[in-house]
Amino acid sequence: MLEKQHAGSPVLHIDRVNLTLGGHEILRDINLSIREGEFVCVVGPSGCGKTTMLRLLAGLYQPTSGDVTYRSTRMTHPRQDIAIVFQDYGKALLPWRTAHGNVSLAFEALNAPREGRDDKIEQLLAKVGLGGQGKKYPNQLSGGMQQRLQIARCLAQTPSVLLMDEPFGALDAMTRQGLQDEILSIVRGTGATAFFVTHDLEEAIYLGDRVIGLLPHPGRVAIEVEVNLPRDRNQLTTREDPEFLRLRRQLFDFIKEAES
Amino acid sequence: MKIDRLLWTGASLLFFAALIWFWQFVSDNRWVSPVFLPGPDRAWNAMMRGLQTGDLGLRWIATIERMIYGWLLASLAGIFLGAVIGSSEMARAYIGPSLELMRPLPASAVVPLAIALLGLSESMVLGVIAFGALWPMLLATVHGFSAVEPRLYEVSRALGLSRSAVIFKISLPSSMPDILAGMRLSLTVALILAVVGEMLASREGLGSHIMLAARAFRSADLFAGVILLGVTGLVSALLLGWFESWMLRWRESR
Ligand SMILES: Nc1ncnc2c1ncn2[C@@H]1O[C@H](COP(=O)(O)OP(=O)(O)OP(=O)(O)O)[C@@H](O)[C@H]1O
Ligand SMILES: [Mg+2]
Repeated sequence: MLEKQHAGSPVLHIDRVNLTLGGHEILRDINLSIREGEFVCVVGPSGCGKTTMLRLLAGLYQPTSGDVTYRSTRMTHPRQDIAIVFQDYGKALLPWRTAHGNVSLAFEALNAPREGRDDKIEQLLAKVGLGGQGKKYPNQLSGGMQQRLQIARCLAQTPSVLLMDEPFGALDAMTRQGLQDEILSIVRGTGATAFFVTHDLEEAIYLGDRVIGLLPHPGRVAIEVEVNLPRDRNQLTTREDPEFLRLRRQLFDFIKEAES
Repeated sequence: MKIDRLLWTGASLLFFAALIWFWQFVSDNRWVSPVFLPGPDRAWNAMMRGLQTGDLGLRWIATIERMIYGWLLASLAGIFLGAVIGSSEMARAYIGPSLELMRPLPASAVVPLAIALLGLSESMVLGVIAFGALWPMLLATVHGFSAVEPRLYEVSRALGLSRSAVIFKISLPSSMPDILAGMRLSLTVALILAVVGEMLASREGLGSHIMLAARAFRSADLFAGVILLGVTGLVSALLLGWFESWMLRWRESR
């Protein structure tokens, strides 16, 4: 596992990308290569272009100049093997469908065979800790459960890349930590590549193999740190590791400088 | 909660009984001449007699049929057109203003036109019903389709849903609350227009029954027709209400 992260050609590649939206320069000269199986976290002050960068990788935006490629092909539109976990899970779920039906939507989009679909959905729900909750509607689930449901739907796409935009931003600390560990084990278990936007520096270090810091006006990559922590993370020991504390200090200083 | 509802139902029933009693009281004391206002007893008897022996029942059914056909026609056309207009920003920009211009036209204003085109025929009546009932449907559907959460369209793109799947699995169910509200409104309009159309084109139905009774000063028959209209409106609204809360059960489930 440890070796795998550094091997191979990039899965996602952002090459000299500039993006202008509505006459405003949002991103300037972004360069980023994400390796197979790598977990990349992005931090930065509000409005610096983190979401915009994720939407470029998702194929929801096209760069004004430069290239965004996925396994060497240009991203001209969203792909089924790249899943997006949105922050506003409440808006990203279909309120008129049960939990089961929401996951089913991904299979319907894939035209997957009907046979055995129900079992697969039940397995996915169980995987994210929603076993036996398939008949509930989203408004009967807590915030954390709704976000789990959205993750289950993304997993139904069997994505090779997971793009996550502050997925735990609206959740309380306890739920958050639980979900951090779950997403880590899911990503490690499937070998997927992850791009994770967050406001929380500790979350970024805890999850990431690499953390990228952006600065605003226009959005640009200002800092990049490798996280040299053992890949098996633990909420207690990892957060007390001297390397963790050093990285936290480094990123904290960066953010403080950015805001002054 | 349950007791609350029981109390409300009881209160409204009581109010209804009081109204009937007041009606009986007014006619018994001849505050209004019986030529114009029969008591509830006479109206009831006329209705029962009409249903058992006369063709009141047939007329009633004819009106209900017209209402339902016109309403279904309007619903289908309204949902289809509303979906087309509502899901395209460009269509809304181009067609929206003309819709706003035509909407306040009362359906009765198109009656002369409908008569000129279709004559005093069954299709004229149906056409007028459908035209009048179309507007609430159309506007509700346009609103529903234009108010779909944009995030869901992004989810659809990320999942790779086909165009038709987006319409049937995202836009349509998301607009369902608006569409059902529109259907409820247009059902009322359809009933009114069915009656008006029957009066104008003298087609067999409650409308012509009421008009003929009024001309002959048979006020009991007139009131019998009006009562049946009221029952029709009430029952259809109840049925649609049940359908609506079943369709939208995901809203209440908390
Ligand atoms: N469609 C758009 N048109 C014009 N400007 C936009 C558009 N989308 C985003 N912006 C601007 O681009 C900048 C970056 O936005 P973005 O949403 O990427 O920031 P962010 O880093 O995700 O912020 P936050 O942490 O608050 O989510 C902001 O200044 C925003 O106002
Ligand atoms: Mg953002």
